[in-house]
Amino acid sequence: MSAARRIVLTSGKGGVGKTTTTANLGAALALRGKRVVLVDADIGLRNLDLVLGVEKRIVFDLVEVVEGRCQLRQALIKDKRLENLLVLPAAQTRDKTAIGELQMAEVTAQLAELCDYVLIDCPAGIEHGFRNAVAGASEAIIVTTPEVSSIRDADRVIGKLRERGMPVRLVINRLRPEMVRSGDMLSVDDVTDILSAELLGIVPDDEEVIDTTNRGEPVALQTESRLGAIYDKIARRLEGDVVAFTQFGTPGFFGRLFRKAG
Amino acid sequence: MSTVRGRGRNLEIAVDRALGAAVDEMRAQFAGRPDFYRGSRAVANLGILEPPAAEIAAFRDALAEYGITLDGVSGVESIAPVVAELDLAYLGSAPEAAAEVSALPRPRREREVRISDEARSLIADFAGARQDMVRRRQAPAATSTLASAGVALPQTAAARAVPVGIATLYHRGTLRGGQALHNLGNLVVIGDVNPGAELVASGDIVVFGALRGVAHAGAQGDRSARVIALELAPTQLRIATLIATSDAGTRARGPEHASIVDERIVVVPFAEADLRREHTS
Amino acid sequence: MHEMVHEEAPAQSAVPRERGRAIVVTSGKGGVGKTTTTANVGAALAAGGASVVLVDADVGLRNLDIVLGLEARVRHHVLDVLENKVTLDDALVTDKRVPSLRLLAAAQTREKDDVDTVAFRDLISSLRDRFDYVLIDCPAGIEKGFVNAIAGADEAIVVCTPEVSAVRDADRVVGLLGDNRSIKLIINRLRPALVRKGKMLSVDDVNGILRLSLLGVVAEAPDVIVSTNRGEPVALDAASPVGEAYRQIAQRISGTLTAPPEVPREPTFFEKLFGSAK
Repeated sequence: MSAARRIVLTSGKGGVGKTTTTANLGAALALRGKRVVLVDADIGLRNLDLVLGVEKRIVFDLVEVVEGRCQLRQALIKDKRLENLLVLPAAQTRDKTAIGELQMAEVTAQLAELCDYVLIDCPAGIEHGFRNAVAGASEAIIVTTPEVSSIRDADRVIGKLRERGMPVRLVINRLRPEMVRSGDMLSVDDVTDILSAELLGIVPDDEEVIDTTNRGEPVALQTESRLGAIYDKIARRLEGDVVAFTQFGTPGFFGRLFRKAG
Repeated sequence: MSTVRGRGRNLEIAVDRALGAAVDEMRAQFAGRPDFYRGSRAVANLGILEPPAAEIAAFRDALAEYGITLDGVSGVESIAPVVAELDLAYLGSAPEAAAEVSALPRPRREREVRISDEARSLIADFAGARQDMVRRRQAPAATSTLASAGVALPQTAAARAVPVGIATLYHRGTLRGGQALHNLGNLVVIGDVNPGAELVASGDIVVFGALRGVAHAGAQGDRSARVIALELAPTQLRIATLIATSDAGTRARGPEHASIVDERIVVVPFAEADLRREHTS
Repeated sequence: MHEMVHEEAPAQSAVPRERGRAIVVTSGKGGVGKTTTTANVGAALAAGGASVVLVDADVGLRNLDIVLGLEARVRHHVLDVLENKVTLDDALVTDKRVPSLRLLAAAQTREKDDVDTVAFRDLISSLRDRFDYVLIDCPAGIEKGFVNAIAGADEAIVVCTPEVSAVRDADRVVGLLGDNRSIKLIINRLRPALVRKGKMLSVDDVNGILRLSLLGVVAEAPDVIVSTNRGEPVALDAASPVGEAYRQIAQRISGTLTAPPEVPREPTFFEKLFGSAK
């Protein structure tokens, strides 16, 4: 069995949706039958467990694995809904200096022998935590929103990743087509021009995401929903399929009606 | 990766790579604390490995350098004669083979303990918790150059706790997410313990407030330890080696008391709690 | 540091002024609105007559200059000052609209590890001698960037959105800030309709965990993204309800407003149909 693909999800700017994307992309891949391990590299500010709803089942974490206090498989939490999805949580009572790049690379290499995909949720910023997360990966997905600050930060991160020779692809998150039309938000083309990276997916802004992340129920599990279908497309593209991008733009009749009404 | 686990006063070493590599790894692991296991006895679980006598002897000798006596080895049947040749006990075949990711592993002595449908238990070795408690006792507070320059650094919870006598650590103030208090003895917190905070005590834990984080009482194995809180709503509750988690009910139930009864973690209203020292089992 | 006479600098008065206040704006979680809050609260305080300097502590990922629309004017940054390559006055950028508002930008091509914590703290201290308010925009996370940003501040504003992850991260940060700082809360990006439907945390849910003194609650509004992209702080827009929320926060900080903050509510049916002042 060949080793898994090890992908870090990063952004530079915080709050653009790295953790949500990691959880949903992981779920979408698992739904397609792939064996996936999600790793939370945000030591001290862990959130991946919350977004997946496994918080209460954490017994051991990444730091304890690195420190040899438990075996790797004792720390892995199996998702109750998807048998192919496992989570390695971060520690909460420690900080990012608790582990180093070499250790992160070792853990990721071990995980890669057990599954098809290792997705690493990177902390915000470009400090020690970022370097650790990247150390374990051989590819990167940059998550960005179509806003100037977020793109500027993404650009900085892409530069750092390309210095390491890492292939980089882009997910544009929280797109609001009506704001693109009114000129208050950058378009997909604007973003890909500025960042010049291959586009992996476009995820529209959706108020369901807040509720599903609060409840620990990734929206990708709702395969019939709009967002569920989009994450499935992203998973397929990651696998190498050529999949057309969903067209966002023309509001329906109701959209136009209510805008006029105020 | 190999692991060293404590079982009572003995060690179990699970090896899942070539013995030579395991020895190197172990040297790295013991580097910071070469005497920690001195005087212990150990058994090694070799999984599916079939190393020659010389390698097993080298492994035993490496352990002896750290004061650990290897008594026995478990693994596949073919190693039995090799092991006997070295005057070690052959303990039978290994219970678990190399890492194969499946369901969350269930150890041999499995217990199903429920507070609610959501709960399950594991027998888990919290050796790390014990080490932390010992280390905190021994290490004086580190004075960094930043602190001596008068820079107000991020604060740790332990900096606020006031030791009362030898056995009980008394902490006044709410514990925030990411803060941890570990104590050899009992632990009393006046305030809330927020989600993401952690309490670990070898004795009892008392929270005069809302306990919403993780609490581990009897962390060195004392099954008569208790957890008491004005509002008992922990993310996870651990007493000795049992773990349980509560369901999502948020209605106020008043002060509650958790202890092990009949091999299960049981939560009762405080007024009904059995406060005698020894637990009934 | 070489003292320069500069016509835009505040005049040295004969009566020693009371030291200014240094407030760090932090959150733990990224993307909750720290930079927007720093810019808007600073702009509102300055528009009210105070002298304000905003310090961007997000080395390598600076954004405060963009939010203020001043990126074209930034010539030097904090590290240039700390490394004595330029004077503080050379590095300070004056806002286009409010002359008593200054910006000290972060370096973009450097790292947070390059900042010496003690030197940064001393810089904040000297800024307090010159300005009524020193607001420090803290980076996301709890690593060195955070440690530097809080070093010089004895007050903190924690910004939190009504989401479980944000509350957890904010709680972590409150714990790290310790007992010796005054810590207050701004809840940002509230959506009253979602709270009513049970799809978003309420103000009580958030502050039930954080237990902090509440400075203000700011509703989610599309005009904030627009104003950020254009570099025009919404606090300077008299017609904006979000701007008004920031102005009231500024007044609570300065002590001129003591009434507790209102929680934004959903527009009434009438307002929805005919449009409210927006």
